[in-house]
Amino acid sequence: MRKFILPVICFFVMVSVTGGPAWAEGNVLLADAEPVIIDDVQNYEEFEEENPLAIEADVVLVKDPLEAYNRVMFAFNDKFYYYFFKPVYTGYSNVIPEPARKSVNKFYTNLTMPIRFFNCLFQGKFQSAGTEMLRFSINSTLGIAGLFDPAKSRFHLDAQEEDFGQTLSKCKMGPGTYIVWPFIGPSNVRDTVGLVGDIALNPITWITYLYLNPLEGFGIRAFDTVNTGSLEAEDAYEGVTKAALDPYVALQDAYVKNRSKKINE
Amino acid sequence: MNVRKMVFGISAGMLFMIGTSACLWAGEPGNLILETVDKGLVILKDESLQGEEKLEVRKQRLWEELSPIFNFEEMSKRALGRYWRERSPEEKEEFVRLFTDILKESYIGKTDSYSGETIALIKERQEDRYAKVQTKFILSGGKEASVDFRLLNNSGKWTIYDVVIEGVSLVNNYRSQFNSILLKSSYADLLEMMKEKTEKKKT
Repeated sequence: MRKFILPVICFFVMVSVTGGPAWAEGNVLLADAEPVIIDDVQNYEEFEEENPLAIEADVVLVKDPLEAYNRVMFAFNDKFYYYFFKPVYTGYSNVIPEPARKSVNKFYTNLTMPIRFFNCLFQGKFQSAGTEMLRFSINSTLGIAGLFDPAKSRFHLDAQEEDFGQTLSKCKMGPGTYIVWPFIGPSNVRDTVGLVGDIALNPITWITYLYLNPLEGFGIRAFDTVNTGSLEAEDAYEGVTKAALDPYVALQDAYVKNRSKKINE
Repeated sequence: MNVRKMVFGISAGMLFMIGTSACLWAGEPGNLILETVDKGLVILKDESLQGEEKLEVRKQRLWEELSPIFNFEEMSKRALGRYWRERSPEEKEEFVRLFTDILKESYIGKTDSYSGETIALIKERQEDRYAKVQTKFILSGGKEASVDFRLLNNSGKWTIYDVVIEGVSLVNNYRSQFNSILLKSSYADLLEMMKEKTEKKKT
């Protein structure tokens, strides 16, 4: 009994210190806010009854009428990744040491603060918007124009990953048809509109429009893409597709579920 | 005399608890995850197992440490969904073996040498025989990834039957694939694909 009470007390202290209604959050995770089509031919009641935590284990059929085109585009992107993108960023990684690449990444993240800030505002997340504002002030000054991230390392302020696709979802827009875009990869109607919204909110777009020629603007974006790719593309893309029997479906599922998680947060 | 015994008892009990639990408030499933990840990290950090040429030994050691806490049968059952019930016991056994091989080669094979990753327990929830342990992996670049483990208690032993990385469930990801494949081709074709996949990985 004694052994039992102490962890219980410690647990409640932890919960009250972290300040979160831990159980309430746990329930939110089970609810899927995405409008989903559950295939009722496939009946998984057997598993559900057994396991209350496995409610989300339903097979969600993704709306994919463009599958034939999408598969072709997926194959193209896959080739593009292995024969062009990966060699480029591997070469880049060999020349530029990791800390420098991370700093570049932080610089871009800091620069694109308006995307996250305005999307927080659009979604009514005023506290998150405040966090973004604070992060920007700290990182632009103490973080030397955003090359470092003291807001996170010193003040424990995490970047708020909100984009326009998530804002549209909050406005009750459904995901629509799944689309694979050349070079960009998996998307859907909502996230495509979202992408356009984010481009409009991106300061790099304004800077390009006001001060640079299109080629220079493209260069800035390409550099950001290669730099980010050198840090994470391998884990994300190869992690999903290499282990798969049907990489197209695996990537589609990963995209849909990951978006769904981000929207619910 | 009695008081002294009691004090000794309490402090010994507390010491025992601190010693056995990586995180004081974690329950049994949470501890299992933390301990297993720790064991895995010990192997990855091991100086004598570094380098490309030691890859096979490292993979084998990791597999020995990590595989006992995964429930591959449960994973196979859930990944195959309704098709599981249509299979004979022998077929089920074969499927579990192939699926285990795919997971082993794909995920253990991916682990590189240690580069500063840590794990933090966020929270855990337990409902009857089922538990969900939410953790955060802090990667070497300072990037974080949310990793949830789903566990099942089989006659007193907790085993993992699903891992959810950034909202993407491993089992559901394979279930989508199996479903998509089986809608177009036969079960025999699926087995053929799985065999091909494991052969290719080994060479």
